[in-house]
Amino acid sequence: MTLHIVNQSPYSGCALSDCLDAIAEGDALILIEDGVYAAAGQHGLPEKQTFCLTADANARGVSIANSVEGIDEARWVALCTQHNPIVSWFK
Amino acid sequence: MSNLVIDGQEILLDKEGFLRNLDDWSPKIAEALAAQEDITLTDDHWDVIRLLQRFYREFELSPAMRPLVKYVGQHLGPEKGRSIFLMQLFPPSPAKIGSKIAGLPKPTNCL
Amino acid sequence: MPQSKSILALCRHAPYGNTLAREGLEAVLACAAMDQTPEVLLINDGVFQLLQQNPEQIGEKNLHRNLQALPMFGVEILYVCRKSVEQRGLCPDDLCVPGAEITLLDDTGTFIGKFDQVLSF
Repeated sequence: MTLHIVNQSPYSGCALSDCLDAIAEGDALILIEDGVYAAAGQHGLPEKQTFCLTADANARGVSIANSVEGIDEARWVALCTQHNPIVSWFK
Repeated sequence: MSNLVIDGQEILLDKEGFLRNLDDWSPKIAEALAAQEDITLTDDHWDVIRLLQRFYREFELSPAMRPLVKYVGQHLGPEKGRSIFLMQLFPPSPAKIGSKIAGLPKPTNCL
Repeated sequence: MPQSKSILALCRHAPYGNTLAREGLEAVLACAAMDQTPEVLLINDGVFQLLQQNPEQIGEKNLHRNLQALPMFGVEILYVCRKSVEQRGLCPDDLCVPGAEITLLDDTGTFIGKFDQVLSF
């Protein structure tokens, strides 16, 4: 299964919506950096397998919706080793 | 690499011997560039040089080895569309040496 | 070197506005020159790379012309996201790369998931 990583705010560009258009059933999604602004909800995120770097959300004062799981960097690394391929949506 | 002097005119080369100004190219300059590689140009060389220039006009880039082999095969026939044929003409790196003599930029993906 | 991993170049950006489209093309050509031929998927604004272009007046090299070299490098099929084409009001007939076959995809997610490595541009 694919791991998608988004680092752009959903308000500044299309990275998240483009990713959601190309996500397959069972894929995982991680929101990092400015991508965490989507973690508050309202962006049509998948109900399962959606993660958010807690440190990036805390840094920005973003509260993480219930359907999104906050994770630390060790868990992020674990997800990278458990998924293939990994697709970056960075622009 | 030192510059070329052709008919009293200095032709600028980069450090690998490629023309700095691609518009400088002429058959005479090709012969001089070939001589620097210890190559004497024959009809087979000229066929490939013209094809390299055609490739560049068509795609606006210099070929790597595999596309060059394929392109030569399409235009000069399967007998010549082989790496051994090109290797004999432009050793040791036909895409790079051929591009240099044909007055093309260095292939960007030539490592 | 035999090809050990399948590689996808995910090309998401229009030509000329930034350097990503060109970087993607150059990465594909470099991989192919090393006998690690990737597949290419044009998606989102990447589908604009397939329009006819005349960039001479803005001093750029013609990316569409460069794309036509892909079949020579062993990339003979260009995969294109159908939804991206339709969202941009383009018609599949507008998209053409001489020498390459254009294949429109409806399910890009499943397609992407089949590769070992995905390079995003």
